[in-house]
Amino acid sequence: MNVLPVFFTSVLYNLRYAPLIIQIACVFIFIAVTCTVIAYLSILIGRYKGHRREKKLARLHPLIDQLLLENVLMNEALIQEDAEEIPLAADAFHQPVFRKRWARQALIDRLIHYRNNVSGIMGEQLRNLYIQLELDKESLKKMKSRKWDKKVQAMAELTSMNMSIADVTILPLTNSRNRELRAAARHAYIKLSKNEPFKFFDLATEPLLLWDQVELFRIISTTEKIAIPNFAQWITYSSNKSIISFCLKLVVHYNQISAVPAVEKLLDTRDHYLRADAINCLGKMQIAEVEDKLIRMYNSQPLNCQIEILKLMGRVSSGKHVDFLRQEFLHSTDFELRKNAAKSLIKNQWAAKNLINELVDTATAENKRILKHCMNPLIKF
Amino acid sequence: MEFIKNFYEGFVFVYGCTMLFWYALLAMLSLRGIIRYQRKNSYVDHNIMVQSPLAPGISVIAPAYNEGVTIISNVRSLLTLNYPVFEVIIVNDGSTDDTLEKLINEFQLTEVVFAYNERIQSQPVKRVFKSVNTAYDKLVVIDKVNGKSKADASNAGINAAAYAYFLCTDVDSIIEKDTLLRMIKPFMDEENKKIKEVGEPCPECGYVHVVEDSIRVIATGATLRLANSCEVDEGVITRVRPPRHWLPRFQEMEYIRAYVLGKMGWSLINCVPNVSGGLGLFDKEIAIKAGGYDSKSFAEDMDIVTRMCTYMIDNKLKYAVRYIPTSQCWTEGPPNLKVFSRQRTRWGRGLAEIMTIHRKVIFNPRYKRLGLVVLPYNLFFEFLAPIIEFTGILYYIYLIITNHINWPFATILLLFVYLYSVMITTLAIWWDQMTYRYYKTWKEVMGLALMAFLEPFVYHPLIVFFALRGYYFFIVGKKHTWGNMQRQGFGQKKTTAA
Repeated sequence: MNVLPVFFTSVLYNLRYAPLIIQIACVFIFIAVTCTVIAYLSILIGRYKGHRREKKLARLHPLIDQLLLENVLMNEALIQEDAEEIPLAADAFHQPVFRKRWARQALIDRLIHYRNNVSGIMGEQLRNLYIQLELDKESLKKMKSRKWDKKVQAMAELTSMNMSIADVTILPLTNSRNRELRAAARHAYIKLSKNEPFKFFDLATEPLLLWDQVELFRIISTTEKIAIPNFAQWITYSSNKSIISFCLKLVVHYNQISAVPAVEKLLDTRDHYLRADAINCLGKMQIAEVEDKLIRMYNSQPLNCQIEILKLMGRVSSGKHVDFLRQEFLHSTDFELRKNAAKSLIKNQWAAKNLINELVDTATAENKRILKHCMNPLIKF
Repeated sequence: MEFIKNFYEGFVFVYGCTMLFWYALLAMLSLRGIIRYQRKNSYVDHNIMVQSPLAPGISVIAPAYNEGVTIISNVRSLLTLNYPVFEVIIVNDGSTDDTLEKLINEFQLTEVVFAYNERIQSQPVKRVFKSVNTAYDKLVVIDKVNGKSKADASNAGINAAAYAYFLCTDVDSIIEKDTLLRMIKPFMDEENKKIKEVGEPCPECGYVHVVEDSIRVIATGATLRLANSCEVDEGVITRVRPPRHWLPRFQEMEYIRAYVLGKMGWSLINCVPNVSGGLGLFDKEIAIKAGGYDSKSFAEDMDIVTRMCTYMIDNKLKYAVRYIPTSQCWTEGPPNLKVFSRQRTRWGRGLAEIMTIHRKVIFNPRYKRLGLVVLPYNLFFEFLAPIIEFTGILYYIYLIITNHINWPFATILLLFVYLYSVMITTLAIWWDQMTYRYYKTWKEVMGLALMAFLEPFVYHPLIVFFALRGYYFFIVGKKHTWGNMQRQGFGQKKTTAA
């Protein structure tokens, strides 16, 4: 019975005179036990808090939904033509629960959720409610926070509610060193700036990441009443290559023929990635005038640019350069070049039907396989 | 003799301390990585990519060998991934069952003439199939001669891939629907391709030669978890549970520690040693230039990442290998000791192989992090650990027999090591809970966390033994077959009869 206490007493006694390693080990035993206990407690507390939060929100969400349905979404008076003049029943929302910060945040999130799913006058009414309940002040308060994630949250809320933010506040953030903050500020600026939504293109020194481009592209292409500028100005003058690359994609999306001369100038740029993007842009816009120049350039280009030139021949499908495509298909040593030449030949089929038949009959086994691959409508790439 | 004893004791002491230090460092790094990921992604809507014309294409490659029982539902599951531009390449690796017939019948496949470019060597491809039904136009089925390894089949898939990125997975794994959306993000979060001009204009072409000067993400991995006791409905996990059986449960705990604590920590300092073969998204161009998967390797996933990194460094290109902490793939872990021993022996053998093949990179300052951190860490704390542990046990026995042991001190030291390992595992489970509360009840979390107390006595000795067996097989060059794991099938949601 007394073995254990005696053992530990002797251990403690010996510890005083124990070697340093043993003393350090004892300290670490204490640290390990403490950290393990903290970890267990944190897991349990975290789960309990999460569970409580879910329960509270599960009770609050139906209440918010009901209030919104009764006072806004199903309010027939608001569907009238002069609905904007009808005062909203914001009083219904002045309930004790909405004095708590978490509940007000839940209300903001729910309003945003509904606003993203309705349009027109209903959307406007939700915005009015957001203002009347002074929830915009909460968002603006977050905007002043030192924490970048709070700022990002604020911008997301204000953007969703179409609230304006002063240029002086937002423009510096579009060049922030913090990627997330920078991206959020750029999105907000494009969406909220009434006069010059693309002004930050002039100022941007930090790169526009590919993910940001996806997000910006969506905002630009889905925002109503946005004034689309001529992107040639940035293609010509911007020193930020990621901005130029993004503008090329926008030029294609908006089919901006007026920007073509600026894109053509890019064919002489030293950056072959940018050059390939420019050729891609011209191809997608089916600019036949550049074909001759590109054929002259072809042999001095790296592989990515050569592939884009061949693709352009297919997209333009002018039928003028089938001999060039044939030449590349038969004599290129690179598989990808031959495949792209074959694809473009097939796209020029209207002008090269006999040539294609001849190639199918006379080509090597591998080239024949490439041709048949490209001719098969089941295979897209 | 005394000198050898002192040297060994000193070495083990320094080794142990360094190992514990690394674990503590990894725990801190992974915590930072997870918090950063959470904060960064809390306002990100991955679904914006679904509609975007700017989304880069991804080829999903899934080799299949004798998967006739589950192939149809698994392929259907892959075809419903949430992403705008992707293809699913199923590589039938010479199955001897009805895998291919089932695919042909179910998906209305027809043989096509395919421009297959063998950039990476693999066993010959016999036929390529495409569906005549436009609903399955994303599907490509390759029928090839059996290459006796997943790596060989994956290489054939890479050769046929149309897009710039490829996702390698197992056809019997369950992949979350948003996997491609989440895993492509690290590739798009790095700066766009940037160039640096080198030297004077070239007299031949007139251009100043340029080199790429941006960090290129070459691979991304995500956390894998065991699906052994989870409920699955139509290829979707509907209820996550830790495995009920003790062996897969230990593996689940080990996976959490390895992915959430280990790889997230390594990811933060760009020192990820490997991207799991179960789920990895790769840059196709670099993977091909690095030679693809080594079909003879027993650790082909670590091998390809090491070779891709080596390629980048050799060509003076900046690179990164990233990990995301969310669980994107659910796989069936070995349910019994026999299958488990085969898997771990293979892993042990694979590790020994990697250390031998890439020995010139280890401690080579030219290879920077790869040569000075990643591979040395794997050499000392992954490869040598079982050997040192085993010799340590022998030495302990010798000390006990010769009565040279100070029991109180020995007890303290053992207790220290034991509690430290429990702490590390518990922290990993804590970090995992911070990422996402996968398990429904706290009892399930506790049930998993408490396994850490048993691990050093039950699970860890098995790992050490099988690793040593793998090393032995590697040394004697014993032939080792991959073996086909008999799938138990994923738990279906119980339905009550009306």
